[in-house]
Amino acid sequence: MSSRGEIEDLLRELAPQVLGALLRRHGALDVCEDAVQEALLSAARDWPAEGLPDHPRAWLITVANRRLIDLVRSESARRRREERILLGAPPAESLQELGEDGSAGRDDTLVLLLLCCHPALTPPSQIALTLRAVGGLTTAEIASAFFVPESTMAQRISRAKQTIREAGAAFSMPPPEELDQRLRAAMHVLYLVFNEGYTTTSGADIHRADLTREAIRLARELHNLRPNDSEVAGLLALLILTEARRPARTTPTGDLIALADQDRNCWDRDLIREGVDRVSEALASGPLGLYQLQAAIAAVHDEAASADDTDWPEVLALYETLERIAPNPMATISRAVAAGMVLGPGAGLDLLATIDTDTRIAKHYLLYAVRGHLLEMAGHPEEAAFSFESAARRTASIPEKRYLAARALRLRSGSDRSTSV
Amino acid sequence: MKYMAIIYGNKALWESFAPDVIGEAIASVNAFNVRYAESGELLGAYGLGDELTAKTVRVRDGVPAVTDGPYLEAKEFVSSFFLLDCDSEARALEVVADYPFASHSAVEVWPVLHEAGTEM
Repeated sequence: MSSRGEIEDLLRELAPQVLGALLRRHGALDVCEDAVQEALLSAARDWPAEGLPDHPRAWLITVANRRLIDLVRSESARRRREERILLGAPPAESLQELGEDGSAGRDDTLVLLLLCCHPALTPPSQIALTLRAVGGLTTAEIASAFFVPESTMAQRISRAKQTIREAGAAFSMPPPEELDQRLRAAMHVLYLVFNEGYTTTSGADIHRADLTREAIRLARELHNLRPNDSEVAGLLALLILTEARRPARTTPTGDLIALADQDRNCWDRDLIREGVDRVSEALASGPLGLYQLQAAIAAVHDEAASADDTDWPEVLALYETLERIAPNPMATISRAVAAGMVLGPGAGLDLLATIDTDTRIAKHYLLYAVRGHLLEMAGHPEEAAFSFESAARRTASIPEKRYLAARALRLRSGSDRSTSV
Repeated sequence: MKYMAIIYGNKALWESFAPDVIGEAIASVNAFNVRYAESGELLGAYGLGDELTAKTVRVRDGVPAVTDGPYLEAKEFVSSFFLLDCDSEARALEVVADYPFASHSAVEVWPVLHEAGTEM
């Protein structure tokens, strides 16, 4: 007897394969996707009580195919399409055979992911469509994860499907010259899904924790499909190594805990081991890329027994490489932190001064937060407090705001005491 | 990122619109609402009652005291607002610039704070 959780995992894994099987035959993403959703709902309702069917994948494909025919028939205004689709469709029996061919399903998952991350879509639409079509989440689950009304999310998903149709995108592997770029877009979507779910609040927002799990699950899937792509491996390692620290990242009331102050006993050792192995393997096989470098930096932090044991020269070297490959002010800010630890706060502050006028970053709260950190190290509590306050006013994240305001307050009360003595 | 766009005005401003212009204005605002609800970026748009119908609540010693009128003393009052969920601030400002009232007077845009941290 399968538990509800096992059934859910199985459905999530099969969802893109079933959709792929339908799309391969019928092409139309919008109706196929609706049909698959309904088949998944039937399975989620029936299987826990009646037990798993002998061939779950074929069961889903058969039910989804029947629903598809119903959906197409019910659109009486679109009879021409009905003729086109139904005449071109094979009988359900041959679909069942197709359903037992596992290898086709794996490829379909990748093709589907790449379709959902089509360049004609904005990132929020790519994310929504990926979670629904590839991740098998319901529209209500996705809407609640992003704190928007369900009707908004439904609208966003249906617009995304329409855009894909209008762009004339076919359900097939992109041509080789496009494949790499499309893969990068898909990886970016998984990265964004993870980031969105990597929240600081606990308890009430379990849906958002589900997003990090979902991103890691899909990154694992992508890695299985593209085992020789070192950047896919790097992305998976980065997500795993970041997830490993999540239990220690916040207090029970949702306040942020800085990396240096986290209780490292709460870090997930198994995930760290897996992440370190994966990034080492990726770096050894090459070519080098941004996800691998970020994963390598995360690995250095994760492997340090305490904040003081961190191999800061290694972190600094990695950030220098990162900036050489892809110069951007966010990487400079991170490098300034590492430079502060290795060369002293003055070196970090000098680095920050080089991006002070960069319009991409000039008003970004992180610039102020890191400056505050370095000024505090340099023994300038007044100026540090002012920087932390400036940072707190500029971030839109409530936990970040609380954290930065608390650091400013600590410095101010510290300096008050010293002046009153 | 979510943004709140706020429209301010007063009786004198609303009465300055000729009746036929009001019909057009309502139609153009409706068109805006439909367009951005369809793109999934407009989460909701709400018009508010006259400031004469606003109430202010204060609780002192556990006893609520309700007074007529808005809390802020101002010449103009919030009259409507809408919530956006956009890719970026630049996109939110672009959408707001498309709001008909931005061509008449002004629309204020505020980022809505969120629970998610950005550090990774």
